[in-house]
Amino acid sequence: MTSDGGAVPDGGTAPDDRPDRAARIDRWLVGKAREGDVTAYEELIRRHRDRIYRIALRITGDATDADDVTQEVVIQLWTALSGFVGSSAFTTWLYRVVVNRSLGHQRRSRRWSGEEPADTDLPPVAAPERSVLAGAELRAGLEAIAGLPESQRVPFVLCQIEGLGYAQAAAITKVPEATLRGRLARARATLLAEMRSWMS
Amino acid sequence: MTGPEPVVPDTRLACGRSTAPLVEQVAEGRGGDLDAHQRTCPYCRAALAEFDRLWAPVRAVAADRPQAPGSLVEAALRRVRGAGGETEYGRIDSPLGHTRVAARVVVALARHLATQVPGVEVALGRLAADGHESGGEVVPDVEAGVTGGSTAVQITLAAAYGQDLQALGERIRAVVARGVREVTGLEPVDVTVHVDDVW
Repeated sequence: MTSDGGAVPDGGTAPDDRPDRAARIDRWLVGKAREGDVTAYEELIRRHRDRIYRIALRITGDATDADDVTQEVVIQLWTALSGFVGSSAFTTWLYRVVVNRSLGHQRRSRRWSGEEPADTDLPPVAAPERSVLAGAELRAGLEAIAGLPESQRVPFVLCQIEGLGYAQAAAITKVPEATLRGRLARARATLLAEMRSWMS
Repeated sequence: MTGPEPVVPDTRLACGRSTAPLVEQVAEGRGGDLDAHQRTCPYCRAALAEFDRLWAPVRAVAADRPQAPGSLVEAALRRVRGAGGETEYGRIDSPLGHTRVAARVVVALARHLATQVPGVEVALGRLAADGHESGGEVVPDVEAGVTGGSTAVQITLAAAYGQDLQALGERIRAVVARGVREVTGLEPVDVTVHVDDVW
């Protein structure tokens, strides 16, 4: 359980074991970076790059898109830092940037391919016979998550996959915590139904 | 199988309990934390077991922790740094040629070494700037040794509160100097420690 009532354990991938200490280090580095210290910015990116990439990857469902989003975020955050006023945690601001960029990327990709899913139009996961190789569960999970509508997928990725707390995920997505929890519950129910279909 | 049939958010089990909290219980990794009712209720236990089985693919995704491709991030950071940040090298001569060590390597190594010293919360490294000549092979503002290059490093850090900062500086100097010397072959003739903050 994370400090703000989080959903699931983080899996040991947070930049630091102690959230307060991690936040202090981030603040110090952000301050240095805003003064123009590129080495501070590099350290800041080093601390968060894997999570930037994973959030992008899980939201877009595409490694190429995740590469693009990661590069764009690393380049543009350098100048965007001047707009970070520090009223929220740096990570909340950072992850919001990543989520928005990822959604933008995916919307553009799906517009080209015409496959934007709606809440009532969930694509089925792979049939069992197509997923018999090692890692079938992982692939089935990835496909099912990719098929979730945006409103469910983002809370699911932030809370269930990345282990962020409900309060932080709500702040990132700018919705009330109750709304976020409702969307997360719908995502879980949807995925359970998909997995039941996949396993039957 | 005695578990519930189709899984929907508000299905009620025969015992009267809703399935939605059970789904949340499994999703949050608390499927094994049974309350007093669940410990004796076959419907709840069957439902939890079924949800746990169905949740395996999601657990597989959560356990899969891909890392950002290093070259990708480095390419982006190169653009941030601009062209000027890649042109400085230390140089160690030998009879058969010479080894060049990029300034960035020294900086990264110094930062890493300093961060490992107890009492250091976070550290940044850079080459000492005074008289620093950019664009060439002579890295530092110090004379190169007869058989190898030299380097001067500055460490800027935030330290843990309540310790002897002078002693901390000495420890950092010793660790960084030894590490840079051993790994790069360059002679760190000056390690300046700048304690920027404490907390």
